[in-house]
Amino acid sequence: MSLQPNTKQKIGDQLFFTLPTIIVFTMAILAPFIYGLVLTFADMPNVMALTKPLKFVGFENYVKAFADKKFWAAMVLTIKYVIASIFFVNLVGFSLASLVTSGLKGQNFFRTALFTPNLIGGLVLGYIWRFIFVSSLPAIGESLQIELLRLGWLGDKDLAFLAIVIVTVWQLGGYMMIIFIAGLIGIPNDVIEAARIDGAIGLRRLIHITLPLMVPAFVVTIFMTLKSAFMVYDINYALTAGGPAGSTIMASMHIVAKAFTQNKFSVGQAQAIFLFVIVAVVSGVQVYYGKKKELEA
Amino acid sequence: MKKILALVLLLALAISMTACAPAATTAAPAETTAAPAETTAAVADEPVTIIVTNGKGEIAAQFDQAAKDFMALNPNITVEMYSVTVGDTVSIYDKLTSSGKIVTLAMVEPYAVNDKFVDTVASMDGAPWIAETTSAFKNVAGQVVGFPFAIEGFGLVYNKAVVEKAVPGFDPLSIKTRDQFVELLDKIIASGVKKPIAYQTEAWSVSNHYSAQFINQATDKNAFAADLKAGNFDYINNAVWNGYYDTMDVLADAKYNVYGERPLGSYYDEAHVKVGNGEAAMLFNGNWAFDSLKAAPESSFGFIPVPFTNDAADVNAGKLSVGPTQVFIIDKNATPAEQAAAEKFLEWMVFDEKGMDFVVNQSQIISAFKNNPNKVTNPLGAAIADAIGKGATLDFPTNYVSAGDYYNILGPSVQAYINKDSTREELATAFTDYYATLE
Repeated sequence: MSLQPNTKQKIGDQLFFTLPTIIVFTMAILAPFIYGLVLTFADMPNVMALTKPLKFVGFENYVKAFADKKFWAAMVLTIKYVIASIFFVNLVGFSLASLVTSGLKGQNFFRTALFTPNLIGGLVLGYIWRFIFVSSLPAIGESLQIELLRLGWLGDKDLAFLAIVIVTVWQLGGYMMIIFIAGLIGIPNDVIEAARIDGAIGLRRLIHITLPLMVPAFVVTIFMTLKSAFMVYDINYALTAGGPAGSTIMASMHIVAKAFTQNKFSVGQAQAIFLFVIVAVVSGVQVYYGKKKELEA
Repeated sequence: MKKILALVLLLALAISMTACAPAATTAAPAETTAAPAETTAAVADEPVTIIVTNGKGEIAAQFDQAAKDFMALNPNITVEMYSVTVGDTVSIYDKLTSSGKIVTLAMVEPYAVNDKFVDTVASMDGAPWIAETTSAFKNVAGQVVGFPFAIEGFGLVYNKAVVEKAVPGFDPLSIKTRDQFVELLDKIIASGVKKPIAYQTEAWSVSNHYSAQFINQATDKNAFAADLKAGNFDYINNAVWNGYYDTMDVLADAKYNVYGERPLGSYYDEAHVKVGNGEAAMLFNGNWAFDSLKAAPESSFGFIPVPFTNDAADVNAGKLSVGPTQVFIIDKNATPAEQAAAEKFLEWMVFDEKGMDFVVNQSQIISAFKNNPNKVTNPLGAAIADAIGKGATLDFPTNYVSAGDYYNILGPSVQAYINKDSTREELATAFTDYYATLE
């Protein structure tokens, strides 16, 4: 008898705090997602189809989406980009974090400064770096006779891809650094001390003590890099716009072009669902195994 | 206390939710097909609200002012003006339509009139402004459905000071053949310019604009476009199609082009600054490039037609591609009163003094209407007006292709050709393959 009002109270409290979020989440994410899913089964070349009753065509759009070779080429490129981003973003983020927790003079200043690129939106960052790659670096290359920099990087397929990775690292490195700093500070001092007494210093301490204790931080940073790299659009658009000769079109850019400029809305939407499933599976697996490792550590 | 607070919050949310719901259903598009424009005369002077979308983001402020001026004259009409953001992929039109609104008057690209909007455009036959223009846009059924808002054109934009230093008294329309053009480039080099061309060969430029030009060889472009779709065109054996890429070879050549060594590097801003300040002489673009070009305040610019042949007697040689690039369409699903109000706004732009001033003087748009006495001051616009006066113009070929498809599908192929990653034959195949995918 006394338990029931308590449960009610609990549900009430729960709702009080989460209901607003649930409503906003439903309106801004869940409802559009379900609506989008419905549209993948409709014959909808462009937005004008909404002015008439929708005609449903079953899985036709999925078949067309699957048969689109350019989509899978964009997907392969995206996966390459994801791998490169995860590796370099975490490497740079961790190195910076180690540097600014090592007792460096003015390390608080560096923490703030290195985090700043993350506060600049991807589009702005893309345009700033486009200027650097198109105008600044060639000017430096010209005057210092550096052949690699003399011609704009964005005109070469491989260098343009590298340019996107560099800007991504620039944007995300500082953010991941903050997470790594929290992880590094969280390592108990007595463990470090015990390791030192046992003679583990330098690289040995990093590999056997620091890194295993940093697994929770890595689970978070890898997940975040994975998600933002798979979904990349802004940097891709502002920096290379998919060029040169369509060599840097990533999955999101292909989907936007398919849906909105080529007027194949439902097919583009179906490809977006493919992308969603791939990202969900990959990040799900990553978090599952990451957490397992975390427990082992 | 907490409970009361929770209740209040819940109530507030519930109310806002229910308030949203009916609005969404009533906003769903009306299924009724509206009466044709003829009934508009019967419409009473009741208050009416129309939604107008402007596809030229760079003149958003001018459009807002135009709406105010128009409303002051027509107090019973409320104009809700929406402008696209420059560079926005998902247009304001799509956003409004997907939220259930009917855009009464929309500025769209001409190609979309017979494509995306084919089922919703209202006929404008009989409108008084048709007599004042030669650019009224017709649908495939032959009805006037598009109000030509902007006349634009493209060609080889050149810096007058630089070219006239090499060739005193230069007349751009005298360049009719590729050989004459190459000769001009060599003269410019001889006058002290290291590389006369600063063309950035971006995907949209080399596809939507440059690669559509071969369509101008046809007299009936709609029929020609239908032939392309039917697969009845032999690209690789067509002299005009090849002629444009022979010229492209010159434009992208490292001997003449600043970016020739690595042509595809996103150089838009840089290229325009270079031509603007006279470091280079020319690039390929349209009259809209003026904003990016005016690096030096006293510089002036003109257009050289893109050469595609070595036969100076060709009727199309030495002419610029010029035509309506933005047309207004009225949605036939709007109420008769709304359609009438939209038509009134169009007439205001053509016949009212303030309307004419808005189009030409304020927005620097070349008017398609001969009764408009105003002249644009922008030198590229003036060059186009001059070419129109001399009859040295071709049609605007981009109006006969899907710009989105050309940019996305053919753009990379043309760029690959420019970058020497593929051959002319492979480029021709890319065109054939693209048209084969169209339904």
